[in-house]
Amino acid sequence: MNTPAFLSAQQLRKSFGPVEVLHGVDLDLAPGTVTALLGENGAGKSTFVRILAGDYQPDSGTIELDGVPEHYSVAGARRRGIRLISQEISDAPALTVAENVVLGAWPSKGSWVDHRAVRREARAALDVLDTNLDLDALQSSLRLGERQIVEVARAIRGESRLIIFDEPTAALSDAEAKQLYRVIGTLTARGVAVLYITHRLDEVFAIADRVCVLRDGVISLSGAVSDTTPSAVVEAMVGRAVERTRGEPRSFQESEPALEVQRISASGFDEVSFRAHRGEIIGIYGKLGSGVIEVAEALFGTHPLHSGTMLVDGRERTLKGPADAIAHGIGYLPADRAHDSAFLILPVSENLAAPSWSRLARLRTFMTRTIDATAYRRWHDALGIRSTGDPTQPLGTLSGGNQQKVLLGRWLEAGSKVLILSEPTRGVDVGAREEIYAVLRDLASRGTTIVVASSDYEDIIGVADTAMVMIRGEIVARIPHNDITVNALTEAAGGTIHV
Amino acid sequence: MSETLTPTTAAPKSDVIARRRFKVPETAALVVFLIAEVIFFSFSSRFFLSWDNVINIVTALSVTGILAAGATILLIGGQFDLSIGSGVAWVGLTFALLNPVIGTAGAVSAAVLSGLIIGILNGFLVTVVGVNALITTLGTMAIFRGLTLSIGEGQSIGVTGFDWALIRPFLNIPLPVIVFVIVASLVALLLRNTVYGRSIYAIGANPSAARLVGLGSKRNIFIAFLISGLCMALAGLTSVSQLGATSGTTGLGLELAAITAVILGGTSLAGGVGSVSGTVLGLLIVAVLGNGMTLMNINSSWQQVATGALLILAVSFDRLRQTVLRSR
Repeated sequence: MNTPAFLSAQQLRKSFGPVEVLHGVDLDLAPGTVTALLGENGAGKSTFVRILAGDYQPDSGTIELDGVPEHYSVAGARRRGIRLISQEISDAPALTVAENVVLGAWPSKGSWVDHRAVRREARAALDVLDTNLDLDALQSSLRLGERQIVEVARAIRGESRLIIFDEPTAALSDAEAKQLYRVIGTLTARGVAVLYITHRLDEVFAIADRVCVLRDGVISLSGAVSDTTPSAVVEAMVGRAVERTRGEPRSFQESEPALEVQRISASGFDEVSFRAHRGEIIGIYGKLGSGVIEVAEALFGTHPLHSGTMLVDGRERTLKGPADAIAHGIGYLPADRAHDSAFLILPVSENLAAPSWSRLARLRTFMTRTIDATAYRRWHDALGIRSTGDPTQPLGTLSGGNQQKVLLGRWLEAGSKVLILSEPTRGVDVGAREEIYAVLRDLASRGTTIVVASSDYEDIIGVADTAMVMIRGEIVARIPHNDITVNALTEAAGGTIHV
Repeated sequence: MSETLTPTTAAPKSDVIARRRFKVPETAALVVFLIAEVIFFSFSSRFFLSWDNVINIVTALSVTGILAAGATILLIGGQFDLSIGSGVAWVGLTFALLNPVIGTAGAVSAAVLSGLIIGILNGFLVTVVGVNALITTLGTMAIFRGLTLSIGEGQSIGVTGFDWALIRPFLNIPLPVIVFVIVASLVALLLRNTVYGRSIYAIGANPSAARLVGLGSKRNIFIAFLISGLCMALAGLTSVSQLGATSGTTGLGLELAAITAVILGGTSLAGGVGSVSGTVLGLLIVAVLGNGMTLMNINSSWQQVATGALLILAVSFDRLRQTVLRSR
């Protein structure tokens, strides 16, 4: 590259407690260039990005802006023209599009908002992006892709030099994603540097000039997109997963089906059918918004089915809710741990025993701390939970992976015969991920039926006996054991990789 | 990680045995404050530490205390009940009107039922209709206060032949204090040692997760409002017996007094945290403050200022403590 870099990171290191997450990362970001940053979960992507955005300070290493070493905070990063557009959209649904564009930096005359300037500046920002959104439309009336455009418009107000996109298309439709690519093209034409975080290979080859892969806190690949191939990127990113020994296929013809659904439909998916035998692990793979999570929720009865039948142990069941599902021997690990599954302020032992309380209690009513503690100890070692060993320790004091093990233990204690897992390794580090896979395989070998619904192909490759792939609420592919690979999964899910 | 997934059945190994490390209970600061209060007031008034005065203090807090016990369950569950003060007046009116007509036993039953009706209404609106608890009970607070005023025509109604609250069976302790102790003990037992209590903490800590582990959030919250209604009935019957009369203004502000004590006692408004012992400490701190200031001849208006300031100080202190703990 001939243009001097706007931002140059050199030998960035960062540790959290005793764990070093980044082991000396170098990266140059040039004006007018799109650099794609890839890496599996836990590779250190988000830590790296938060350092660039001024949210974390590196333990060592330097960041040079226009050749000058600088230290800066989040506010400082903004002053220097660095913008981060994070995965979660943060807008004000009750305000108009124009107001959302200027959110946080309202044009004003003295203390009064200058409404005419609000419209003018918002129009200007949206014009740059070549979109014709209605300035007076309420933000809440917009589709997801349009809201993302408003986020971009807000980011490019004032002088922006570097815009960091954190997996912007994860939840977008193809058409919406294309619109975003156009916007990025407009930005780079104006000399803005773009850092684009993604896990979709097709995007890298469609829009990026340079590609950079992080693996376990080091750069495993860095170079021009034209000099590399998809298979080289895959290897740099998930090399381990490609090599993963998947074991021999197991046969389930002999064992009876434990869970069977016939043409079930509900909000988010249509006509889904499959059969899971005793001891079988079914993987359902699909991007966010593909309906994978909705299927998992439906199997646990959180929402009623619109149509179709569900059979548990060969008998037709209509689940009236989670309590009903639990009574039929089904357990569920939701995707959003903090919101739907963890009692972070309560003791680990209560977190583990909660679904079993009425069975464990004396006369189904009276509880003591010992009852919870006994249940906790029963699974503590088997699950390899790393904790102080104190059953009254609040769950929130454990790491993400260990929290997930406690929450998995919840269903072991409940004696669930069918386990539904949604994004089981989200926010879990690499080591704990393997341990969770080992627990799942072990559970299956003892006859538990497991359904893993995930947008992370590692989960599917790691444990599934059979995989299904979903796009827009429909099952588009069924992949037998021996053919479950990264390529097979991502290709079926619409990420066209031709390796 | 063990090779295979085998539950531990043998006696727990040393590393997993609950280490009984000494932990400072969360309520320690409250105990220290209460002791400081007692020491301060015992120096300012010789009468303060006498048995008669101790009885005065606990008698004064018994009606509020019965209500606060029920409010503790609701606040831990992440809910709220502002209608308890109006409920006391409503229950009192029901009893006072029916006592001469259908006799004491019938009137007591009707009074209990009238408290439960408020609880059922609140519970229905919050769990079935889905109205926010603050709004629901703000509404029922106004409704039942208004009904009481209108049906009782704003008059004070005397009650005869119902003075059990004045009985002092032993050690000069009046019955309402004993009722309060029993209610508080029952609620403490319910919260600490039953599946129901555990579920309430879980619902308060994370309602969505509680639903997904099958803890029946709606049913349990409904029951909590019923218990609150039952507490209104008990408090109302106690109050009408203590005063020998009831009026439209009976129990005015009791909801705030009860909730103040609960929050002072360390129960979190966000739910999931709290205890009856904390609430009892909160009640004692407020009651001792009021009593001590009365003995020092300080105007009761200033007692309100002191109680309000104390509440804000206690919660600020707790916030500060959590920030310090988190930053470590």
